[in-house]
Amino acid sequence: MAAQVATTKVPEVRDITRIERIGAHSHIRGLGLDDALEPRQVSQGMVGQLASRRAAGLILEMIKDGQIAGRAVLIAGQPGTGKTAIAMGIAQSLGPDTPFTALAGSEIFSLEMSKTEALSQAFRKAIGVRIKEETEIIEGEVVEIQIDRPATGTGAKVGKLTLKTTEMETIYDLGTKMIESLSKERVQAGDVITIDKATGKISKLGRSFTRARDYDAMGAQTQFVQCPEGELQKRKEVVHTVSLHEIDVINSRTQGFLALFSGDTGEIKSEVREQINAKVSEWREEGKAEIIPGVLFIDEVHMLDIECFSFLNRALESDLSPVLIMATNRGITRIRGTNYQSPHGIPIDMLDRLLIIATTPYTEKETRQILKIRCEEEDVELSEEAHTVLTRIGQETSLRYAIQLISTAGLVCRKRRGTEVQVEDIKRVYSLFLDEARSSQYMKEYQDSFLFNETQTSQMDTS
Amino acid sequence: MDESAQRVLEHLTEVEVAAEDILTDKQQIVDLDVRRNRNREALSALRNNSPNDNVKVCFGNMFIKFPQESTRSMILKDQEQLDKEITDLRTRLKAKVNRLNELQGKPELRGYNLAPLSSDEVKAINSLLKK
Repeated sequence: MAAQVATTKVPEVRDITRIERIGAHSHIRGLGLDDALEPRQVSQGMVGQLASRRAAGLILEMIKDGQIAGRAVLIAGQPGTGKTAIAMGIAQSLGPDTPFTALAGSEIFSLEMSKTEALSQAFRKAIGVRIKEETEIIEGEVVEIQIDRPATGTGAKVGKLTLKTTEMETIYDLGTKMIESLSKERVQAGDVITIDKATGKISKLGRSFTRARDYDAMGAQTQFVQCPEGELQKRKEVVHTVSLHEIDVINSRTQGFLALFSGDTGEIKSEVREQINAKVSEWREEGKAEIIPGVLFIDEVHMLDIECFSFLNRALESDLSPVLIMATNRGITRIRGTNYQSPHGIPIDMLDRLLIIATTPYTEKETRQILKIRCEEEDVELSEEAHTVLTRIGQETSLRYAIQLISTAGLVCRKRRGTEVQVEDIKRVYSLFLDEARSSQYMKEYQDSFLFNETQTSQMDTS
Repeated sequence: MDESAQRVLEHLTEVEVAAEDILTDKQQIVDLDVRRNRNREALSALRNNSPNDNVKVCFGNMFIKFPQESTRSMILKDQEQLDKEITDLRTRLKAKVNRLNELQGKPELRGYNLAPLSSDEVKAINSLLKK
C-alpha cells in the first residue's frame, strides 16, 4: 500500500503545478463529440461551432486510424471564434501517444536557423516512431545472501544468492563480479531486485512487505513492494514512442563535452535526416518499428512567407509527413514576401491542397456559456446580473475582452471582500480597462497630443 | 431462456474459455521455469563435485547411480528443451491475449507485435528511452 501511495503521489504533484497556471484554452478537454461524431452543444469545454467541430472530429478519426498523412487542414474564421480551441481539442483527444506539435507562424523566423530548417524540424517533431525494447530479467525477492571470503584475505570470493517469487525459490552461485555489484548496490535479505541477464546489471526495486518489520528505524525513502509473482526469469517488453526529430538530434550530435549542451538549437544536416529515414524505413520493413504520423499545428499561418509555403507544398508530398493543421484569422490579404493578394494570405496552389474548416462568430447564448466555463476555470463566482452584463460586453466588444474582465473583476471583488462578482465590479474594471473599440476612439480624439502622430495615416502592415 | 440471453451466455463462455487458456499457459511457464531453475542448480552442484564419482540421480521415486558426464549431458539437453518450450509458450501467449482483448472489446495493445530492436540499436538510442 505504501508503495502505491508513493507512486501515485508523483503525478499528483505535477497536476497541481499544472492547475496553478491558467491559460487561455486550459478549459478545453476535447472536441466534445459523442460516439457517432455528433457534436454536443456544450461538452469538454467546447461550446457551439457545431459544424466545424463535426468536421474536426471527422479529421480526428482519420488521423487516429492513421489513414491520412501528408494532408493539410485550414481553420479559418474571425478573431475569437475558437480556432485555436478546436486545434487544442484535437490535440487533447488524440491522447498522449500521437505526437502533436504546435507553433505560431512567426516562431520560425530566427537568426540561428533558416526558415526551412525550423519548418522541417517541426515536421519531424510531429512524426512518432514506435519501437520495442526487450530484455530478459531475473526478478525476485532476496531470501539470503551468503558470501564466503577466503581466510587469507586475498583471492576470489564465492557466494550464493537465494531468490524467490510467490511461486518458487532457487539458489544462484555467484562469481566475483556479481558479488561486487551486489555489495555496491547494498543488496540484503528482504530486498526485491532485478538482474538484467544480458548486462548483469542489478537494480533494487525496494523492500518486500513481508520484511517491513525487520527494523524499527528505516529511511524515509524506503520503498515497499510486493514479492514478485510468477516465474523468476521473465521477459520484459517495453514499447517506446520517440519522434523522428529526437533521433535526428542524437545522430547529429558531435561527440564531446559541448555536445551535451548544444541541444537541438543547431541545424541538422540533410544527410543525417536521409540516413535516419533510411534506417527507420528499414526498421519498418523488418517489423521493428511503426510510424505514427502526428499533427503539426501552425497558428497565425498568414505570418509565413511565400518561401515557407512553397516548402510546405513540397514537404507535404514526402512519405514521412504529418497531418498539417493551420489556423488564420485573415481575409483576402497580401501574401507575405510578395505583392499579390490572396484569400487568407495563402497562395492559391497551397489553398488548393487544403481542407478548409470555417468558424463562425458565437451567438449570445454561446458567449454566455463560454463565459460561465471560464469563470469555473478561473475560480471566480459570478452573480446572475453580472453574468448578463459580461455577456453583453462580450457580444458588443469581443469575447477575449470579456474573458479578460473575469479575472480582473474577480480581483476587484476580492479586494472589497465580496464572495460573488457583482455588476459594480464589472463596471469598475470596464472603466479601468479599455477595449479595442474604445481605445481606437480615444486615439482618434487625442491623436494630436501623442508622439509621432503623423504615422497614423498609413495603414499598419501586419501581413 | 430467450435468444439474447443465450447469446450473452455463449459470449461469456467464450471469454472465460479464452481467459482460462491464458492462465493455464502462464502457470505452465511458471512450472517450466521451476524445472529450469532446478536443473540449473543441479548443473552447478555437478560443477562443484569431484569429476570422477558417480552421482545419484532421482528418477520418479527412485535414486539411480549414474556417471557424471552422461548426467550432465542429459540435464543440458533437458534445459535446451525447456528453453524452447518457454519461448514457444510466450509467443503463443501473445496471440491468445490479443484474442481475449478482442473478445472483450478492448483496444488492441499498441506496438505489441513489433519485433524488438537489437541490443546495438537500443544502446544507440538509449538516451531517448531512459527519459
